[in-house]
Amino acid sequence: MRRSSILNRLLLLHTGRARLWTALAVLAAGTFLLLLSVLAWSDFDLLIKGGEGNGTESYIVIGKQITERNMGSASANAFSAAEISEVRHAPQVLDAGEITPALFPVYAEVGGQLPLQTELPLASVPDRFLDAVPSDWNWQPGNPNLPVVLAARFLDIYNYVFAPGQGLPQLSRGSVQAIGMRMKVGSDPSVQVFSAHISGFSDRVGSVLVPQSFITYGNSRFAASAGPVRVMQLILRVADPSDPQFVTWLQQHGYTTEPQGLQWSRMRAIVQSVAAATGGLAVLLMVAGALIFMLFIELSVTRSRSSLVLLHQLGYSRRYLVGFMVRRFLPRVAGSLLLALVGTVFVQAVVSSRLAAAQLHLPALPGAVVWAAFVLCSVLVSAAVYRAIVRSVAAAEA
Amino acid sequence: MQLSMRGLVPAHLVQQLAGRPSQVWNTEVSLPSGACVFVQAPSGRGKTTLIHMLYGLRTGYTGAISFGDLKMDQLSDDRLSALRAKELSVIFQDMRLFPSLTALENIEVKRALTNTVTAEEVQAWLAQLGIGHKAHATAATLSYGEQQRVAIIRALVQPFAWLLMDEPFSHLDVANRQLAIDLIKSVAQRRNAGLFLTDLDANNYFPYTHTFLM
Repeated sequence: MRRSSILNRLLLLHTGRARLWTALAVLAAGTFLLLLSVLAWSDFDLLIKGGEGNGTESYIVIGKQITERNMGSASANAFSAAEISEVRHAPQVLDAGEITPALFPVYAEVGGQLPLQTELPLASVPDRFLDAVPSDWNWQPGNPNLPVVLAARFLDIYNYVFAPGQGLPQLSRGSVQAIGMRMKVGSDPSVQVFSAHISGFSDRVGSVLVPQSFITYGNSRFAASAGPVRVMQLILRVADPSDPQFVTWLQQHGYTTEPQGLQWSRMRAIVQSVAAATGGLAVLLMVAGALIFMLFIELSVTRSRSSLVLLHQLGYSRRYLVGFMVRRFLPRVAGSLLLALVGTVFVQAVVSSRLAAAQLHLPALPGAVVWAAFVLCSVLVSAAVYRAIVRSVAAAEA
Repeated sequence: MQLSMRGLVPAHLVQQLAGRPSQVWNTEVSLPSGACVFVQAPSGRGKTTLIHMLYGLRTGYTGAISFGDLKMDQLSDDRLSALRAKELSVIFQDMRLFPSLTALENIEVKRALTNTVTAEEVQAWLAQLGIGHKAHATAATLSYGEQQRVAIIRALVQPFAWLLMDEPFSHLDVANRQLAIDLIKSVAQRRNAGLFLTDLDANNYFPYTHTFLM
């Protein structure tokens, strides 16, 4: 005959099991939702900030918004040196480079089976802003060969829009790089012809890029009018383009960028809203679960009040009785919280494996924030349950 | 362990006791350890109140009670519980058993606190008091006499320096009362404990060393 089993019968058997399980289930559900919302927030943060090979930075091209008021003034729409300096110190901006346009005409001809002739908008960016610097990416005055980096979307437009309509063959990146171009630079009487070839492609800049040395040379040699080169666009290396501070900064300065450059910002806002709403609901549910559990404890103690009082009279101290009830209730609470944690770990494992297929890498286990949230929840709920037991036992004898 | 009572007056009996002589209330009483004390009083004079005050269940009174160096009104809950578990035992007038527990379980709840008496001894005492066959019957199904004997055994399964008894044999016939008295005497003797009994009428249940009229 064990004392604990007798005390169990005296103190805990008066309470309905259904009530106990309901309280524990609500507590587990609330904790699970809370951990899930923290998990969603931390995973998204990890994805946009880069952990485990998710690409830590983004490149964004910005320019001044062209409106009816400023559309006639090229100088007003160009970046001044002060503005460029300010951009470099904007929130989340790690680096800024000028996109230098060619101030001279360029006419390209592709020969052979691809009879294409077109004017080209040449520009240059500092080499560190290229997606990948081609091995032959250099040019010196006197060199007749000119490497070119083509905006990837130009090839897409050719392949999916232009070529089918003109009866021209569609081209892979490799085949395009094998095609030579005759590039006529300048206007009569000062014209120079170069043998150009496509060395690579860029997803970052929507222009035809050539080495900076060529643009510098061309602007000094073939520019229609002498004058300083106006920088109309900047390319930025941004740590976290989803940061609302960065987005606000862009809007405040009237700078525009391609919408997809800021897609993370919108997604972050959505995820944060969903996580906050879920978190709020979860906190409510958790508080409700904890309250139901505490009411359950008070009900248990009230129902076993006479036994509790007599046990105290026989020599069982309040400290012992509180300890006994804590040992009975807290493991159940811990079980609920652990169930929620196991559920969260499972969700993370599933999400991690599914996102891996989309080249988005998340760790198989939840991050430190989730564990910290779990510890915090456990401490708060345990403290609340302990307090409820102490108060109920003290009240039983009052 | 010396028991001292100094100027005791329960708050709810102040008017009732005014002008009435008493050898217990509002006087000084000092009892040496191992004393055998009898307090006699008719109904309504506060016998149960006194037992409850001595056991630390009642606090509404003036005066002071002390066991040795321990002042009852200054004890922490832990110390009071330790006192009840190891030094002070009681047989309540109203028995105070757990009705849903069996006779044996009622005793076990107390025995497990200190383990000073073996389960075999408990069985032997149940048999000695003629309720061995009721060991597994729930307290709610026992007669008052049987309940009183269970309450007596429960009070004896712990170490004690004083055994407080509040009309402990009120539901027992002469034969069963004598069996209970013999058991209490032998256990108290083994523990060198004092006995403190209250009852309505004069009696010679025990060899009293101190007798008081309340």
